[in-house]
Amino acid sequence: MIGSIRAELLVLSRRAATWVLLGCWVALAAFFGYILPYITWRNGDAGNRGDRDLLDMLPENLVGNMLGGFPFFGGVLVLILGVLAVGSDYGWSTWKTLFTQKPGRLQVFGAKVIALGIWIVPFVALSFLAGAIASPIIANTENAAMNWPDAWLIVRGLAAGWLVMATWAALGVLLGILSRGTALAIGLGILYGLVVEGLISALFDQVSLLKPVIDFLLRANAYSLVTVLGASQEQAQANGPGAFGGPFVGGMQATIVLGLELLAFVGIAAWTLRRRDVS
Amino acid sequence: MTHEPSPPTAITSNDYVIETRDLGKRFDNRIVAVEHLDLRVRRGEVYGFLGPNGAGKTTTLRILLGLSKPTSGTANVTGAAPGSPESLARIGAMIETPAFYPFLSGHDNLRMLAMHAGIPESRIDDALDQVDLSKRASDKFGTYSLGMKQRLGVAAALIKNPELLILDEPTNGLDPAGMAEMRTLIRTLGQGDRTVLLSSHMMTEVEQVCDRVGVIRAGKLVAEGTIDELRGHHRESLLVRTDAPDAAQLLLAATPGVSGVDIDGNQLRIATTQDLVPELNRVLVQAGIPVAELLWHRPSLEDVFFDLTRNQDDDHPSTHQHEMERAA
Repeated sequence: MIGSIRAELLVLSRRAATWVLLGCWVALAAFFGYILPYITWRNGDAGNRGDRDLLDMLPENLVGNMLGGFPFFGGVLVLILGVLAVGSDYGWSTWKTLFTQKPGRLQVFGAKVIALGIWIVPFVALSFLAGAIASPIIANTENAAMNWPDAWLIVRGLAAGWLVMATWAALGVLLGILSRGTALAIGLGILYGLVVEGLISALFDQVSLLKPVIDFLLRANAYSLVTVLGASQEQAQANGPGAFGGPFVGGMQATIVLGLELLAFVGIAAWTLRRRDVS
Repeated sequence: MTHEPSPPTAITSNDYVIETRDLGKRFDNRIVAVEHLDLRVRRGEVYGFLGPNGAGKTTTLRILLGLSKPTSGTANVTGAAPGSPESLARIGAMIETPAFYPFLSGHDNLRMLAMHAGIPESRIDDALDQVDLSKRASDKFGTYSLGMKQRLGVAAALIKNPELLILDEPTNGLDPAGMAEMRTLIRTLGQGDRTVLLSSHMMTEVEQVCDRVGVIRAGKLVAEGTIDELRGHHRESLLVRTDAPDAAQLLLAATPGVSGVDIDGNQLRIATTQDLVPELNRVLVQAGIPVAELLWHRPSLEDVFFDLTRNQDDDHPSTHQHEMERAA
């Protein structure tokens, strides 16, 4: 299994798309987490220059401020990574090459999923690093306090960020396997993040029998988890793609639900891949 | 096409590296790709798997590699169920067009496969040398010509030093020189204990390389044997060209040693033995029938192939040779 994981890490690390997505995510996280808010804050009128906005950009709010981008922007980018990690093997017909080596199908698939999980670590870590570079610069420029969050919060923040991204990536893997390709899977994934979950929430909110289902949706739990760790609920509810207006659930429930969804997405994908003929 | 997994039952036999019994594959429960296929490939031989496009060759190979699950019958490959790690560990395969990651170099593609298969990476250079691809090994697969891709596919099949090599149309896309090199390579690879299953519709390739041949048509094995055995089933004959074919037919049909005479325009095809040719010539000349040409015709594998694979709608193809083989 170790050999298969090494093989899949080689494939992911040599693929330009992986680095492009990583670069895009870190740039987006830094831009929307610090650069744009700071420019807006610096150039805004008195009503928009409240201390609350500056506080979000200071080192002490690093965890919450960074995690705010994970449930949608970060999620969609790693969904694309998940789709590419398995869907491209249909386009290039490389499943047949992999499945005629010694390991069984589940081992090859398991290695792909683990390699993907390993690759999500730099997605989380580098975005935090970008925040850890940007926030003290802002604090220094504005002569604000340079207080860092405690280590335990940072660890929980990194873990929560990984869980949110891994669940989105697993959804990408599932869509890639089900659609046996990349284009449709990426389209469906983005559509789900942008529109479908919002529509489901609005619809189910009107039907008392279906209302509890809302608490188990992916974005609902992802946003709930990050707000527990300091991300702003107001920002989540703000206008823009992927905006989420609640309801928010508890941190423990969100963690469990995301973990179960991660396992379910991977499990269904593995089951489907195992039983299908490979062309 | 989906279905519940049903690994084929293993059949133990030391004589055969591949053995299938009543193997069948239907798509959407109606399209028959393979039907009642009993295939036996002996250890150490180069076996040619012949058939026209769409006959079921690749589907059969996919079943043998576990890429596709049969809807009926059983199969045993290198002593284990198709697609099992035990079986795949002993097989090197190239199915249809070689498939690799275009952004990885040839060497890295093989390295990736070696990691998956748990084999030493030191074998990669040997495999690349064998297919004469070492100089371009560091170039990305996406920049390779079709011939180079084919050769990398063979190299990938070789890195496991496999007991069984399954090659599906390995000369596709190669230029004449490349085809000749590939045939030489296959002959070399087939020496010793290694078994090679070569799927092809190139008669020359199979004729030059294979010890035994199986011919598949519409999913069924219609003939199996050595090339000489298959030729023997499709008898040699005497071809006579004359301006009086009807008179010649009447005369020759009544001549001892002739078991049949067919007319095709000015040409007669006479079923007889080669030693009677001078006598038949004498009979015709003495009867005043002008003989423009006499030719002893030895059927090529191509003739045999066309004969076996034409009339696709015929539900009862000749299975004589196959039955003889079974009886043996």
